[in-house]
Amino acid sequence: MTGPFLWYANRGTGVVLLVLLTATTLLGVLATHGAAGGRVPRFLTQAVHRSLSLACAALLLAHVTTAVVDEYVDIRWWQAVVPVGATYRPLWLGLGTVAFDLVLVVVATSLLRARLPHRAWRPVHVSAYACWVLSVVHGLGIGTDASSPWARTTGLVCVVAVGLAAGLRVTGLGVARLRRSRAATADALLVTGAGR
Amino acid sequence: MSARLRVDWPACRGRGLCAEVLPELVSLDEWGYPVVHGDVPEDLVGLAREAARTCPTLALRLVGSR
Amino acid sequence: MSAPVLVRPAGDGGGPVVAVQPGAHVLRGVSAGPSLADHRRRTPPPPALPLADLVARVRDVDVRGRGGAGFPFAAKLEATAGAGRRREVVVNLSEGEPVSFKDAALALTRPHLVLDGAVLAARALGSRVVHVVLPGDRAGVAAAVRRAVDERGHEDDRVRWRLHRAEGRFVAGQAHAVVELMSGRPNLPVTGWQPVALHGYRGRPTLLSNAETFAHVALLAGEHRAAYAGAGTGEEPGTRLLTLDGDGERPTVTEVAHGTPWEDLLTDEALDGPVLVGGYHGTWAAPGALRGVTVSRTAMAAAGLSLGAGVVLPLSPGDCPVHRTAGIVAYLAGQSARRCGPCRHGLPALADAVRATDRGIDLSARAGALAGVVTGRGACAHPDGTARTVTSMLAAFGDEVAAHASGGCGYRPPRLVARSGGSGR
Repeated sequence: MTGPFLWYANRGTGVVLLVLLTATTLLGVLATHGAAGGRVPRFLTQAVHRSLSLACAALLLAHVTTAVVDEYVDIRWWQAVVPVGATYRPLWLGLGTVAFDLVLVVVATSLLRARLPHRAWRPVHVSAYACWVLSVVHGLGIGTDASSPWARTTGLVCVVAVGLAAGLRVTGLGVARLRRSRAATADALLVTGAGR
Repeated sequence: MSARLRVDWPACRGRGLCAEVLPELVSLDEWGYPVVHGDVPEDLVGLAREAARTCPTLALRLVGSR
Repeated sequence: MSAPVLVRPAGDGGGPVVAVQPGAHVLRGVSAGPSLADHRRRTPPPPALPLADLVARVRDVDVRGRGGAGFPFAAKLEATAGAGRRREVVVNLSEGEPVSFKDAALALTRPHLVLDGAVLAARALGSRVVHVVLPGDRAGVAAAVRRAVDERGHEDDRVRWRLHRAEGRFVAGQAHAVVELMSGRPNLPVTGWQPVALHGYRGRPTLLSNAETFAHVALLAGEHRAAYAGAGTGEEPGTRLLTLDGDGERPTVTEVAHGTPWEDLLTDEALDGPVLVGGYHGTWAAPGALRGVTVSRTAMAAAGLSLGAGVVLPLSPGDCPVHRTAGIVAYLAGQSARRCGPCRHGLPALADAVRATDRGIDLSARAGALAGVVTGRGACAHPDGTARTVTSMLAAFGDEVAAHASGGCGYRPPRLVARSGGSGR
C-alpha cells in the first residue's frame, strides 16, 4: 500500500506530535508547580496532562503505523520497537524507535501508577524528558520538512519552552520563592509580636 | 470502620493538590502541608479517592473503605 | 539504704557519672556486680515458658512498656504471636533521651536480667534470634552489653544474639526507626501503616520493647514473682525505674514501687518548684502539683501529668521553666529527622515562638497553635511529644509567661533576664 496520503499523514502526525508532546511536558511541569489556590487548580492541569498524553500516544501509533504500512519506504513492524537493523535512515529511525519504546513504558507505568511504588514510577516518568529530546532529534534527522522555515520556528519554540520548563523544575524556582515568602511571614510575626 | 485519609509524611512534598481536590476535608498549614479534618463521610469517598490519585508523590492514602 | 553503685554510661571517655540505687526487685543486688556468675547466684536461668503461661503472668501484673508509651505488654505479646509464625524479638536499649539513664543503669549493673527477659519472650514466641539495639552515643553501655552477650555463650541454647548500634540521636529509638536500622537503612522514622508488632523487621511480627520492660518480665519467671507482684498497689503491681536528674547533682536511677508518694522521692524544695516529669517529651508539674500524687499511671493522669520514660527533672532555684522549655524545644527541633514537613518546619517555628516568649515577646498563643498544628502530623511521635511539653508549660505557667511579657521573670534574678526589643517594658 502506498500513496501520498500515507506519506502526508506520517509527516503531519510527526509535526503535530512535536507540538503536543511539548504541550504535554509543559503541563506536566505546571501540574506540580506553585501553590494551591491559583486561578487554575492543578488537578485540572494534571488531568489535561494525562488526557493529552494519551492522545499523543494514539497519534504516535498512527505515526508509526503510517510509516510501516507505507511501502514507499521500507520500514518493518519490528523496527517500530527494535532500534537497530533498519535499512531506511537507520540512525534517525532508531532514535524515533527508542522514543516510542520509552513512550510505551511511560504510559504503561502511569496507567498502573496507583499500583506501583512511587520510587519505581518516578525515574521512569522522568525519562519522558529524554524521550522528548530523542523525538526532536528524530524529527530533525528524518523529517522531510525539517529544513523548512515554519518547521524550524516551531521546533525552536518547542525547544525553548521545554528548556524553560525543565529549568523551572531543576531549580525549583517556584517552590523556593514560596518557602521564602512563608518564612518571611513567620519572621514578621516574630518581629511585630503579631502572634498575640 | 469509617474511611480515613492518611498521609505518608516522609513522601509528602506539600504541593497541595489534595487540598484543591477536596477542600471540604483538607486544608493546608502555613508551609503547604495538608491538615486532614476528620473522617471521610460516605458522600465524599469518591472525591477522597480522586485526591489520593492526584497526589504527585502518592503520599495520600484512603484507608478503611472498599 | 545501701550505697549507690556509680556507673559511667559514656564509658572511660568521660561523660556523667550516674548513681544506681539498689532496689528490691529490678535493681536487687546491683552492688554485687554485673557478671553472669553474680547474676546466676541470685536468679536461675529463664525456663522455657509456653506463650499462654507467659502472657498470663504478664497480664496478672499488668506489665506496661517502659519506653514511654506504656502499652500493655501482654497485649503486645499476643498481637505479635497472632500476626504470623516467624516472630522477631528486639530489645531496645538505645535510650535516645539524653537525660534518661535507667536503661544505661540496667545495662551496666544488671544486663543479664534484661537478657533473661528477652530469652523468655523469644522462647515463648519461638524466635531463634534476639536483637539488641545499643545506643550510639554511650560507649560504656554498648561495651557492657557486648560483654554480657559474650558471657552467655551457649547458655541460651537455640537463641542467638544479634547486636545493632543505633545512631546517636533522639529519635533513633522510635520503633520504625529501629526496624529501619536493623534493615540496613538510615536509623530514622518512616511511616508505619501497621504497628511493628504486626509487621516489623522483614515484614515479620516483631516484639520490640524497651530494655527495662524485659527486665520486669524476667522477674515473673521464677520464685521472685510473688514478691514482685506484692510490690506496688493492687491496681498497679510492681515497680518502675526513675531517673532523678536534679540540676547540678548526679543523676540517680532508682527503683520505685507504684503508688509511692512523690514526697518520698523529692525534697520539699524540689516539690515546691517546677518539675518536668517524663523527660523532654514529658509534662510540667507546677510548683506543689506533685504533692499528694503518687508514682502511678492513673494518679499522674488524674493530675494531668504522665510518667513517660521515667525521667524526673526538678528545677533548681533560679531556673525558669519557660527558659528551660525554650532550650528543650530548640534541642528537640534540632533532633527532627527532617523527613516530614510539619516537623521539619513546625518544630523550629515552635522553638522560635517559645524562645521569643521567654525573651519577652509574647508569642504564647502562636506557640500553643503551633503545638496543635504539629501534633499527629508526622511519621513518628516526635512532634507530638515536643508539643506536649510546650502545652503543659503554657498550662502550668501561664502567670510566668505573662511575667515574661512584662519583661520580668519569677524565677531568675533580674540581671540574668534577657531584655526584649522594647515591647511590654
